[in-house]
Amino acid sequence: MEDKSYLNKRHKLVRKIRNFFDSQGLIEVQTPLLLCAPTSDVYIDSIACKVNTDINSEVVKYLHTSPELEMKKLISSGSGDIYQICQVFRDNEYGSRNFNEFTMLEYYRMGFDIHELMDDIVSLLRRLGLNDEVTKISYSNAFTDFGNIDILNTTFEELKEIARGANLTTDFDWIEDLQMLLFIHLVEPELKKLPICFIYDFPKQQSALAKIDGQVASRFEMYLRGIEIANGYDEIQDSDTYLERFNRENQKRSILGKKIYALDNDFLKKLENPIPSCSGVAIGIDRLLHQII
Amino acid sequence: MANYSTSQFKNGLKLILDGNPCSIMNNEIVKPGKGQAFNRVKFKDLITGKTLEKTFKSGESLEGADVMELEMQYLYSDGEAWHFMDPDSFEQYALDSVAMSDTVNYLVEQDNCVVTLWNGNPISVAPANHVILEVVDTDPGLKGDTAGTGGKPATLNTGVVVQVPLFVGIGEKVKVDTRTNEYVGRA
Repeated sequence: MEDKSYLNKRHKLVRKIRNFFDSQGLIEVQTPLLLCAPTSDVYIDSIACKVNTDINSEVVKYLHTSPELEMKKLISSGSGDIYQICQVFRDNEYGSRNFNEFTMLEYYRMGFDIHELMDDIVSLLRRLGLNDEVTKISYSNAFTDFGNIDILNTTFEELKEIARGANLTTDFDWIEDLQMLLFIHLVEPELKKLPICFIYDFPKQQSALAKIDGQVASRFEMYLRGIEIANGYDEIQDSDTYLERFNRENQKRSILGKKIYALDNDFLKKLENPIPSCSGVAIGIDRLLHQII
Repeated sequence: MANYSTSQFKNGLKLILDGNPCSIMNNEIVKPGKGQAFNRVKFKDLITGKTLEKTFKSGESLEGADVMELEMQYLYSDGEAWHFMDPDSFEQYALDSVAMSDTVNYLVEQDNCVVTLWNGNPISVAPANHVILEVVDTDPGLKGDTAGTGGKPATLNTGVVVQVPLFVGIGEKVKVDTRTNEYVGRA
């Protein structure tokens, strides 16, 4: 049995999280965990389940890896600001901080840009008792400061040259993967010194599902003492752009020989009518609470 | 020598990195929320003794290093090389001053220590954590000092200089921590 005082502390913190959102008028939602169309994200693997919907008729469904698309369907139906605290499931996770199942807090604020959302997350951290200094630094400045690399204006070939110089592998199909290697090698160790750090404006190649503005994607990550805790976007609003992003991930999947799944047509159909401008974030609650408890 | 994939990385595993044998001190798996998994690894270069950090794409592999650590007896030095013997095989090994490094400060003939062999050749030697050495030179002790509040340099029989309490005199045997070069007590 787990230590009861730990359970108590966790219970109180989760209640504080709910209070924080409830007092601002957000609605807590629950969305389906079992999906017909799993994520197309090339580096996130879904866990498949065999589901019997009738005698002798077995179908495969997938445990969600994030409630993102289901929550955006609610937003497209006019839900407004929403939050969810749920378990998410991912296959092929290993390492001391990665698990096949973890707790995620995901929330969306209508009309917020990423800077307003980052400020809101800081208010949440304060409410949870984290009063440390906050550092905000753009992805590009982090690379200039810690790696002396102008990351937004360095080509794939030039980055490979830099990696070779540091005796690191250059065996990558896409520049974004090499950017990530260099980020983990040069920048992340420096972030360990910072109690709360936001990295924002990622290179456009790492846009994921965030809006792109010139060379950068309006995306941020939060690190607590060098550990990645949250990932947020200024959300894409229309289905055409989502379709482009999904297709790009599927292209990557096919190049890497990974399985390609059908897209969530229900989602794409709903977002033909664009959702309101909003920003959303996924926060790893287990990692966050681990820093507090 | 076999290759080791990042999934087999663990502390103490000996690998060839940039041509030198290295030992893994820390292996951290980093899997970004959006992105593939990486291993951020801290190594100790077994030849230079330096620590280095490298990041690998998970799934990369490195060549293993044929490294053995053997307890050996220190026999003698001829001025150019230091000679050791494996007490099991009676095989003798000669280490040069580079491989000896600071260990020369703590070795007395007949002492046991751990010699690291790479492909059968000695590359370094580590003394025991505590060794007993004799004071060959130090200023006379001050009368009445028993608590060891102050301190004074003392030259030991290996030539190394260690800070000792004032009451320690020439000819006394002292115990020294070889990791910190500090006096531990009278032996």
